[in-house]
Amino acid sequence: MFAPSLNRREPRIQWAMWSAVLGLMLIGTAFIFSATGDSDAAANLPWWRYRAFGHVLASVAGIAVVSGLCLVEYGRLARWALVAYWASIVLLVCVFFFGASRNGAKRWLDLGPVQFQPSEFAKLAFLFALANFLSRPADELRLPGNFLKALGMALLPFGIILKEPDLGSALVFMPSTLVMMFVAGVPRAMLGKFIGGGALLAALVLVDVLFAPPGWKFVKLEGYQSRRLQVYFGLDFTPRGATPEQARQARMLQRDTAMNVDQALISIGSGGIVGKGWREGTQHSLGFLPRLGAHNDFIFSVIAEEKGFLGSMTVLALYGVVLFMGIRTAGQARDRLGRILATGVVTLLSTHIFVNIGMNIRLVPVTGIPLPLLSAGGTSVLCSLVAIGILQNIHLYRRHH
Amino acid sequence: MLVFDQLNKGDRNLRIVAWAMLAGFLALAAQLWRLQVFSADRYRATQLTQSFKTVRMPALRGKILDRHRNELVGNVPRFRLDLYLHELRPQFKAEYQKIKQQVLVAKRGAVGGEAAPEENFLAHLLSKFRKHKNAARFTSDEVAAMERRARFLVVSNTVAAVGARMGLSLPLNEEALQRHYLQRRFLPLSVLPNCTPAQVAFVTEQGGSIPGVALEQVAVRSYPNGPLGVHLLGHLRRDDGEGEDDSSFDYRLPDYVGGIGLEQSFDRELRGVPGAKSILVNSAGYRARQAEEVLTPAQPGQNLVTTLDRDLQKEVEKALNSVKAGDERGAVVVMDPRNGDVLAMASAPAFNPVEFIDGVSSARWTNFFMAEPWRPMFNRATYGEYAPGSIFKIINALALLENGLDPAELFTVGADPARPGRSAYHLGRRKIEDTAPPGEYDFRRAFIRSSNSYFIDHGLKLGWEKLLAMGHHFGLGEHTGIRIGEEADGDFPTFSAVQSGRWKQGSSQGVLADVSIGQQITVTPVQMAVMLSTVANGGKVFWPRVVDRLEPADVLSEEPTVNVKPGQLRDRIELPQRVWDLVRAAMRDDVLDNEGSGKASRLKDFAVCGKTGTAEIKGNGRKDKVTWFASFGPYEAPRYVVIVMVESGGSGGGTCAPVAKQIYQYLQGREQGTVKGLARN
Repeated sequence: MFAPSLNRREPRIQWAMWSAVLGLMLIGTAFIFSATGDSDAAANLPWWRYRAFGHVLASVAGIAVVSGLCLVEYGRLARWALVAYWASIVLLVCVFFFGASRNGAKRWLDLGPVQFQPSEFAKLAFLFALANFLSRPADELRLPGNFLKALGMALLPFGIILKEPDLGSALVFMPSTLVMMFVAGVPRAMLGKFIGGGALLAALVLVDVLFAPPGWKFVKLEGYQSRRLQVYFGLDFTPRGATPEQARQARMLQRDTAMNVDQALISIGSGGIVGKGWREGTQHSLGFLPRLGAHNDFIFSVIAEEKGFLGSMTVLALYGVVLFMGIRTAGQARDRLGRILATGVVTLLSTHIFVNIGMNIRLVPVTGIPLPLLSAGGTSVLCSLVAIGILQNIHLYRRHH
Repeated sequence: MLVFDQLNKGDRNLRIVAWAMLAGFLALAAQLWRLQVFSADRYRATQLTQSFKTVRMPALRGKILDRHRNELVGNVPRFRLDLYLHELRPQFKAEYQKIKQQVLVAKRGAVGGEAAPEENFLAHLLSKFRKHKNAARFTSDEVAAMERRARFLVVSNTVAAVGARMGLSLPLNEEALQRHYLQRRFLPLSVLPNCTPAQVAFVTEQGGSIPGVALEQVAVRSYPNGPLGVHLLGHLRRDDGEGEDDSSFDYRLPDYVGGIGLEQSFDRELRGVPGAKSILVNSAGYRARQAEEVLTPAQPGQNLVTTLDRDLQKEVEKALNSVKAGDERGAVVVMDPRNGDVLAMASAPAFNPVEFIDGVSSARWTNFFMAEPWRPMFNRATYGEYAPGSIFKIINALALLENGLDPAELFTVGADPARPGRSAYHLGRRKIEDTAPPGEYDFRRAFIRSSNSYFIDHGLKLGWEKLLAMGHHFGLGEHTGIRIGEEADGDFPTFSAVQSGRWKQGSSQGVLADVSIGQQITVTPVQMAVMLSTVANGGKVFWPRVVDRLEPADVLSEEPTVNVKPGQLRDRIELPQRVWDLVRAAMRDDVLDNEGSGKASRLKDFAVCGKTGTAEIKGNGRKDKVTWFASFGPYEAPRYVVIVMVESGGSGGGTCAPVAKQIYQYLQGREQGTVKGLARN
């Protein structure tokens, strides 16, 4: 059933997937324009410097890169995986020294006209490297040494990105790692122990961050990170026995921290079923949605406000098509490498989608993770397209040996 | 599932991954459904409240007109110079940055000079690791203070620029600006509340070049006749809406409420229905666009057409003010005895209602408005309670005649042994002085010489019950129901209160003697006007009427005009015609006869009928007098009742009768056509 029927020629390009991708890119451009067009116009920018146009440019560049990548078979690309992996590690370390700072976090490398986010590149390089490592025969994966090596490959970039600090991007590595190991055939007992240990550790960290008295805080999170967690878990900011002045400041801090999520909920909820119409949403134009985030991390709120439940379902459906085609590609891949790589890409994309939309609708705590293809931000769009391009590549060379 | 069949059935792990992703998507979809479908209304409401401010708009207040539709109180436009803060936001930000830089420089200077640049590459690299390299951190209070300073600088510069171009220095209070910013930054800041036409022209021509400056037109109360009839018409004071339930509004534009008089009593009708407008605000609380949306338009108040006569009112005030030239305390009521319409009503001293538009200072309030004994806001015609003195003898006379007094019967007024040639009445050991000389008196002579002895003696024989009953027929001790601000009822006891000893003055013969000549009891001038009207028309006690009708502000509107029926009877006193004739003739003779106490009001060809009164009162430690002249005219066909009351006057005949004469003279002139004015109606 899954094996392509021999008497039917399947097209080499996955048109359904690329139609969905094109739809998402158009939606992204339209709503980035909705969120930023007025302020770009007010700043008297020429049309080619509008952020919406920047999104188009990044998309076109991404398609070009994907076309180039598809000329080379993924097996051959995988040989360079370790090189790319270590290059990305070097770039991540460079961020500490030469990185541009935004909102107190160093995540960008300034390359003159464009700013580049190495953590996005690192994700792709890591997927290639880990898939390459896991593509060895399944029996070898039973060895605990190999399991630990694979884990180490994940933890190195994880740690560096965590230090940027970018907790969200760092955590995104984990689901991909686990799912790739799972699909590659790492024994479930090992995975289970690892997941169990990780969950226990995460729970301890959470308890320490949220409930420990000041002297007992062993985990040092940035102030805003622990505050976001407190808001997510609905904890009161006011410490016990606080003076009225302290209580007032705590309340203000709580309100400020909760503000973004609350306003995102108001945007999405007030959109109703059909929405207020394109460029008719008020939450971003009046500044209730964060001005720096409406067109990237909170773009989903803009779409949901202006196009309502139908709009948000359309977005979910388009993503569903892309992800489904990705899993199908994994199933049809000609070798273990293709299967594991495609699974990793799909997991990475779906993690981004779930965490970003989930943060907009208060299912997960706020993290700065972009929504693939919709959020403004050149590196994210480019890397998302490259990721989808990898799927296409695996599909393209599924029968050639 | 057909779609999932495409996945290799044998590949369990991939299928588990696919199912997990589907579960994630379903969770997202479920939460989206909850937010966007199930709770959409709640979020929509929250979104509206946070992005719209509703403002209460007062309606245009109705006018007050006289019986000939002359405007007594109206509205005029006033131009206010406004500053819209949201247009200054870019300047606020720029100024804030400037201030921040200055503070930073100052801070670094305090720490010890400019931080030295890193010497070598390694130090430079290491400096990147330091969390906040020599960045001076500001506390939120410091930031707030700098922002506040920036706002004040920008606004005061703008205001100064506007002022400089208009050639005047405009005041700006930092506290007021801060309050405005914190509470209502979505509304414009009023810079100059009242612009002259020249200033208006200037701003219209050049104001556009200064950002944020705009002219706003507001309606304010106008008084075309100055303080004319102010006690009756009333004044307005600022209304803060206390006790009103308008939690639905974020802000109420300045509104006024009637303070006294008709403005107070008919406040609801005059005020109309306030409207509401909504202003779109952004997350910073500034207005997001200049335009405002009117949610419900304000409905202008109704016009009040009164029974007053503007020109007569002017004459009445002129006459009252001529008594003591600036120090009068008194009241005049002019009424039509045929139907109880109030034609004019004045109280002195008066005040200028314009003072209340912009508010009265507390010093002015205590030193002028509340100063004893003047109390200019006090409407003495309706709220002043005074002993009626001898004018109460009219009521006593009616009661006596009703109960069989023979008007021809003679009564001897006894001489006062202590004062040769003068008389007094002796009741037990008490002596009550009488102004009438000793001698023989019939009813007519006793009335026009206002003999205390005659009326006390007969009053004592008549007794409490009948005397009080006659007073109650006229509504003494009760409100007249005139509905102009607050009204006093006077101190006039019921018989049962006297009998049971509940009346604080007592029930002795001495008190009855005093009451017989109008002492120990109090009345209001408007009660006396109603009483005199009844005497003039032969028994009809009217509800006095000041408001003729309430008209909709828009002539073309569907709303009906509310008419107040004239001549509504409160009571009817059935007395033989002979009794009315006797009292009316006696009142005519009080003016016509040279012996009469009211001869100072005598007019040629206009028979004024009157009764003087002088009541002695003990006020603030010394003896004081209230003087009265209660009158109607002309005798043959009474058309006017004029009550004059002056506090601390000389005598009723000497102080009040000339005031009444002046008023009758004017009325006579109008009827004869020698004085301009509309006599008909």
